[in-house]
Amino acid sequence: MNMIELENIDKTYVTASVETRVLKRISFSVQKGEFLSIMGTSGTGKSTLMHILGCLDKPTDGHYRLDGTDMVSLNDDALSHLRNNKIGFVFQQFYLLDRATVLRNVMLPLIYTKEYPEDAKEQAEKLLAAVGLTERATYRPNQLSGGQQQRVAIARALINNPALVLADEPTGNLDSKSGADVLAVFQKLNREGRTIILVTHDRNVAEHANRIILLKDGMVAEDRVISSPLDADAESRAEAEKEMSK
Amino acid sequence: MNTLRIAQECFLSLNANKLRSFLMMAGTIVGIAALTVIMAVGKGTEKKVMKRVNAFGTHAIMVTAGGGKGFSPPQEGITTLRLEDAEAIKNEISGIEVEAPFAVKMGMPVKAGSNQVQTIVMAVAPEWHDAFDWYPSDGDPVTEEDMATMSRVCLLGTLAAKDLFGQQNAIGEYVQIGNVRFRVKGILQTRGVSPMGDDFDSRIVIPLSTGLRRLFNQDYISNIRVKVKDPAQISSIADEIRRLLHERHHITPPAEDDFAIFSAADVAKVARGISGILTLLLGALAGLSLLVGGIVLMNILLISVGERIKEIGLRRALGATRRDIFAQFLMESILITTSGMVLGSIFGWIITVGLARVTKMTPVITWEPFALALGFALLVGVFFGVQPARRAARLEPVEALK
Ligand SMILES: Nc1ncnc2c1ncn2[C@@H]1O[C@H](COP(=O)(O)OP(=O)(O)OP(=O)(O)O)[C@@H](O)[C@H]1O
Ligand SMILES: [Mg+2]
Repeated sequence: MNMIELENIDKTYVTASVETRVLKRISFSVQKGEFLSIMGTSGTGKSTLMHILGCLDKPTDGHYRLDGTDMVSLNDDALSHLRNNKIGFVFQQFYLLDRATVLRNVMLPLIYTKEYPEDAKEQAEKLLAAVGLTERATYRPNQLSGGQQQRVAIARALINNPALVLADEPTGNLDSKSGADVLAVFQKLNREGRTIILVTHDRNVAEHANRIILLKDGMVAEDRVISSPLDADAESRAEAEKEMSK
Repeated sequence: MNTLRIAQECFLSLNANKLRSFLMMAGTIVGIAALTVIMAVGKGTEKKVMKRVNAFGTHAIMVTAGGGKGFSPPQEGITTLRLEDAEAIKNEISGIEVEAPFAVKMGMPVKAGSNQVQTIVMAVAPEWHDAFDWYPSDGDPVTEEDMATMSRVCLLGTLAAKDLFGQQNAIGEYVQIGNVRFRVKGILQTRGVSPMGDDFDSRIVIPLSTGLRRLFNQDYISNIRVKVKDPAQISSIADEIRRLLHERHHITPPAEDDFAIFSAADVAKVARGISGILTLLLGALAGLSLLVGGIVLMNILLISVGERIKEIGLRRALGATRRDIFAQFLMESILITTSGMVLGSIFGWIITVGLARVTKMTPVITWEPFALALGFALLVGVFFGVQPARRAARLEPVEALK
């Protein structure tokens, strides 16, 4: 079943009478359980597309269906609720609140859920364990390394058990070892059945997915399946050995 | 509930930036502290004023022989205030319910058996009881017949009775005032401290005619007590009396008066003293602090919205609706002002207690200033918080995340 269906998505920005058409007739679909990379050079509209996929922005034209629902027609409140319980975001800049503990950061999306789960804390702790940060629950984000912060952000993205995880350059601010760790988390999530869309300009990062869509000038230039994705776990181990031998 | 969870976020955010939170609070703290002090001082003052006015008589005007400022005892040797003056006032000025001329002698020696006291003796007309609302609790009042016959009878204040007769029933007994023997015909009701500071209950009352002819041997009086019908007219009636006496005594201001007029309104004015000015100043301070504090609060909140655009974008991405964001910033504002209110109330309360220690003021702490403060805090919080909250809520999630 198609989880995401994009049909002739157009996005045009108008600034001071200058029109910039960033996305041009983008059409593709994503199935439940896929791990998709959206790749392209800087300025090709990757983030713009991801914002539309994440219901943070609306296309100028075209249709976007998520689980069969037409997103373009929903109002702001409905989209907010949808983001809350269907979509998990991971950003390049992490966007963690330094004033709150790691655990509280992970629980942040629960503030806006209709029904606050009774075992919220246990759920958050479980997710922190899954990203290998059990010991850091009471830390502040600014006491963590970049890779650790990004893994907190991933745990946060998962707290509401979203059907779709969207990540925009999640490894962009990380060294290769931390990047590999983060990608390993995504691969594990995908193996567990989670649908993941990862946005990157880096081919090495993109090739950890099962499928790559290449954007060029706001259009889909290439859409191919990766038969044997890179193994982030193995890379992480190799990086660790390199560190040791130094 | 969602609102409660958002409120928790506000608390976290305010707690994380204590200096900023304090700056936002400062105006409310000062304003509410001032408000608390005003209310406490005002309440205390009004209580004192009412006590004094009640002691004086809420409907009363007192004309006293001799000049003198404030409410002072009649000056000895002033012979200008006369029964004819009292007669003229009664006949020519309207709005008077009852009028009673009387003569006072301070420090009269009074004897009963072996007991002797020195006290104030008042020679009064029968109307005096009504004019002072002061009647015998036992025995009979001064009557027209007493006046006509210049009878040697007297009424004792409860303290005078006790000093002269102990527990013994004084009515029907005799006392010697000066060189004259008087029969005790009544005991006056207990009345307490006079506005002049002495004790009403140590006084002795005799008929006016008896006093003037047989005891004091004078043809002038020392006071005229007037009770007006409507306390709202008290000042205008006092002015009319002053005019009439000027005319009768041939006094043209700025020449000095040979009498003084003191009304319940004057008592209130004297009792209020500087606390009126203090209330005005503190009121201005409270209003100004709340206003300036509110503007400061709004501006810091606006800056904070600007600084927290990323946070707002993140929250929107994580599922916050516009209303959630609005609620968060408005609640931050309200939390600031209500916290400021709590601190301000505590400060105000401390200042009030301190004032009570170092000044003669007797502030009264009640719940009203706290309720009023809470009202003001909510008002300021909402009024100055709406604008920043709206700005925060209006942000588009994509713009905020840029
Ligand atoms: N609000 C906006 N108004 C006008 N133009 C915009 C706006 N947002 C994005 N753009 C333009 O749209 C184009 C695509 O931007 P986008 O952020 O999607 O690129 P990207 O592929 O994510 O690039 P990068 O890899 O650098 O993040 C850019 O040329 C950008 O200048
Ligand atoms: Mg981008």
